Amino acid sequence: MGKLEPRNLTRGAKLRIGLLILALILPFLPFVTDYQLHIVILIFLYMILALGLNIVPGFNGLLDLGYVGFYGIGAYTSGLLTYHFGLSYWVIIPLAFMNGAIWGILLGAPTLRLTGDYFAIVTFGFSELVVLFLTNEIWLTRGPLGLPGIDVVSIDLTLFGGPKWEFIGELPYYYLAIVMVLITVFVMYRIQDSRLGRAWFAIRDDEVAAVSCGINLLAYKVIAFAISAAFGAVGGSFFARWMTFLSPDMFKFWESFLILCMIVLGGMGNIWGVMIGAVILVSMSEILRELLPLLGLPADVRFLAFGLIMVLMMRFRPAGMLPIAAVAAQMRAGRTKRRKTKPAMGIKK
Amino acid sequence: MIPILEINALYKNFGGLEALKDITFNIDRGDIIGLIGPNGAGKTTLFNCVAGIEKPTAGRIILTHGDRTLSIGGKKPEAVTGLGIARTFQNIRLFDNLTVIDNVKIGRHCRTRSVFFGAVIRSKFQQAEEKAISESAYQFLEFVGLKGRGQEIARSMAYGDQRRLEIARALATEPQLLMLDEPAAGMNPQESRDLMDLIRRIRDNGITVLLIEHDMKVVMGVCERVVVINHGEWLAEGLPQDVQNNPKVIEAYLGTGAANAA
Repeated sequence: MGKLEPRNLTRGAKLRIGLLILALILPFLPFVTDYQLHIVILIFLYMILALGLNIVPGFNGLLDLGYVGFYGIGAYTSGLLTYHFGLSYWVIIPLAFMNGAIWGILLGAPTLRLTGDYFAIVTFGFSELVVLFLTNEIWLTRGPLGLPGIDVVSIDLTLFGGPKWEFIGELPYYYLAIVMVLITVFVMYRIQDSRLGRAWFAIRDDEVAAVSCGINLLAYKVIAFAISAAFGAVGGSFFARWMTFLSPDMFKFWESFLILCMIVLGGMGNIWGVMIGAVILVSMSEILRELLPLLGLPADVRFLAFGLIMVLMMRFRPAGMLPIAAVAAQMRAGRTKRRKTKPAMGIKK
Repeated sequence: MIPILEINALYKNFGGLEALKDITFNIDRGDIIGLIGPNGAGKTTLFNCVAGIEKPTAGRIILTHGDRTLSIGGKKPEAVTGLGIARTFQNIRLFDNLTVIDNVKIGRHCRTRSVFFGAVIRSKFQQAEEKAISESAYQFLEFVGLKGRGQEIARSMAYGDQRRLEIARALATEPQLLMLDEPAAGMNPQESRDLMDLIRRIRDNGITVLLIEHDMKVVMGVCERVVVINHGEWLAEGLPQDVQNNPKVIEAYLGTGAANAA
C-alpha cells in the first residue's frame, strides 16, 4: 500500500474527493427527502448510461442513435432472469454486461462497415426493433402489460449462515449506484489511457492514418460498440431491480436522444463533461416536470425546452461545456470549411 | 540479392482511367529509391496499391518477409503495416488533436497486444508493454529530432516538424520498407538538408526507403536509384545522374522538343 500524502493533492483531486464526500453524506443531510434521493439515483443511472454511450460518439466519433436498445436489453435480461429464475443481482450484473456486449457485437460486426449517417440510421432502426420485440413477443416479455413485481436487490448470506438484507427504500440503491458510477468512471479512465483508448482516438481523428498504423478499423469499432453496449445493459439491469417494474415504452427512442444530449451538452469525449451533462439534464427534466403544470403547460413541453437548449448550445458552445480539443476542432472545421478533406474513395473493405 | 519488394506487371484502373499500366520494378534491400514523374503520373496510386489502400486491378506485389516471399497485392492496409511496410502521406495525416507522443505511441499499435481487460486490470504484462511503448516512442521522437516535444499537440507544430513526426510514427511500426510521399514538400533548404540526413540515418538502421519527391535536389542528393513513371507507365530507371540526362525523362517533364534544346 502506498502512503497517503494529502498535502500533495492538486486542486482537481481535492474537488473530486470533496464531491465524493458530499455524495456519501448527502442522504443524511436534513433537507433531503426520499423523492430527491430518487432523482439523484436517476442522475447516477444516467451517468453510467452516458459514460457508456460516450465511448462510441465521444471516443470513436461515430453517431449512435440506438443506445437505448442495449439499455432495454439489459433491463429485460435482469428483469426476466429475476422473474423466472430468481437470480441474485450480483450474478446478473456480469450476465447483463455480457449480454449487452454480445448484442453490441451482433449489431456492430455487420453494420460498422457503414460510415457516418448510414451507421446512425441502422442504430436507430435497432432501437426501434428492440421496442417492437419487447412489445410483441408477449410469451417472453408480457408485452405492453409490462413486467411487474421484479425482486428488489438483496445481499443474501443465508448460504453461509448469515442474514439476508433486502434493499428497501432508496438509501441502499443510492450507495449501490455510487459504487457502480465509480467503477464505470474507473474503467473509462483506464481505457482512455491505454493502447485501446489510443486506437479509438486515432480512429476518431483520421481513419486512413489509423489503418496505416496497423489498426484494424472494424475490429476496434466493434470492440467499442460492444463495451458501450455492455455498460448500457448494466445500467438497464440496475434500473430493472430498482424500479421493480418494466414496460417496453420505457425504452423508446427519445431516451437514446436524451442520453446523446447529455454527452453533447457536457462535452463529447470528456468523462467529467458527460457526467455534468447527466446532472443538468436529469435535474432539469424533474424541475420542469414540476414547474410546467404550474404554468398551465403539459409536462411533455419539457422536451421542447431540451430542444431549445440543444439549439443554443450548438450556436454558442458547439463542443459542449467541457470540450476536448478533438471535438472542438471538428466543430470549427464544420463551421467554416473542412480543413482536411478525406478522399472519397477512402478505404474499401 | 533477393529484392525486398518486387512489383510485377501492376495495373490499376479507376473506371475507364488507367492509372497504372504494366509497372514492373524491384526494390533492393537497404537502398534509397526515388520514385519520380510529372503530376498525375500515378506515383501516389502506386504507393496506395503497395500499402493496401487501393486494390490493384492486376499484377503482383511480392514482399520478402524474413526468408519467405508473399504476395501483398490486395491485402488489407493494417495487414501490410504488420508485415513491415510503413508510409507517410502527401498531405500530412497526423492525429491532429492528440499529443506528439501519443501519435508515435499509436504507431506502436501493430507491435503490441493489450486490449480491454489488460487496460482495465493493468496486468503485469500490460504494464510492461505500456512502459516499453512509452520508452520506444520517446526514442523514435529523439531519432527524428523532436526530443522534448512529446507533450505538444500535433496540430500546433510547424510544418517541417509535422513531417518529421509523421516519419517517427511510421518508424514506430518497425518497418522493413518505409515509403515517404513527398517528404520535402514545403520545406526550406535547411529543412530539406536535415531531411536528407534523416533519410540516410533511417537507411543506416537497415530500413529500405522508397520516396516520391518533386524536389530534385533531394532526389539527386539522397537517392541511389531512381524510377521514373509517366502517365501510369514505367519510363526509365537507373542512377540519378543517368535518369536526369535521359531524353525521354526530360521530354516527360518539359514536353516534346525540350530534350533537344537541353
